[in-house]
Amino acid sequence: MYSWLWRKLPGGKLLKSIQCLGLATIFIAACYFWFFPWLDALLFTEVSPL
Amino acid sequence: MPKRIEAIEVTELPDGTKMFWAQLPKEKSSKKVLLAVGESFITLGLILALFVGYKAVLQDSVIADKQIAAAAEFVKQHKFRDPSQVTRQAQIFGRMYVPRFGAKWTRLIAEGTRWHPVLNEIGVGHYVGTTMPGEVGNFAVAAHRGGFGGAFKEIHRLTTGDKVFVETRNFWYVYKYLQTKIVNPNEITVINAVPPELDGAVAGSRYMTMTSCTPIYVNTQRIIVWLELDRVIPIKNGPPQELNIGGN
Repeated sequence: MYSWLWRKLPGGKLLKSIQCLGLATIFIAACYFWFFPWLDALLFTEVSPL
Repeated sequence: MPKRIEAIEVTELPDGTKMFWAQLPKEKSSKKVLLAVGESFITLGLILALFVGYKAVLQDSVIADKQIAAAAEFVKQHKFRDPSQVTRQAQIFGRMYVPRFGAKWTRLIAEGTRWHPVLNEIGVGHYVGTTMPGEVGNFAVAAHRGGFGGAFKEIHRLTTGDKVFVETRNFWYVYKYLQTKIVNPNEITVINAVPPELDGAVAGSRYMTMTSCTPIYVNTQRIIVWLELDRVIPIKNGPPQELNIGGN
């Protein structure tokens, strides 16, 4: 998966690294602003057993 | 690890130069699948680690700030419901201050211990059926230890000499620290009017019990802090001097 991505990205090592960093940033931002709040609401909004 | 060469092919160019081509074995599809599965697990692990970080650090501090701001905003716009007139879950009847948790720490107190909306959004929940602040018996409250603002994150730091302040519609109640104990989740007698787990507990006293989960983020047990009423101050006299907030 990662090696496939590395092969498919255009340019030399530096350009590939910059593109990987960009993709990772987009991925983490999507996690923090969309996926994690959704997962959090799904897992932790039940009635307390207390 | 060097790959095994299966065959060598020789090509002769027009100028007589010979080129040698090494034929490498094709990777088996099962190996590719295994590699993809392994990488997927590593990715999933990284996502879970990020989620833990999100819950424990980022979301916790953001929600804690929101709960503190909401407490100040609530007091500006509303009056607390009189504790004797609380009839439903999530009705807000007071505000709590614990200097040991930090100078700016404050949370609203609402009826009930449901996660939503009491513990998750408001902060501190009052156990239904236990007495109200200042009354004879046990005024018992619960809050999250970690996650959703972690209102009682520092509960383990409470010690002898510490005080907890409860502000209601008409009075300030000052409670002084008595004892901390770790118990199993099924030991619900800790919120009794006379808790058997509290050393020297006697009938007719005015106790307060703070409960939360422990160890933090593990939550297999409960941490209990008992306090006893020290004094009551009418709200018109202003906040207790040692609280040092000078109003809202």
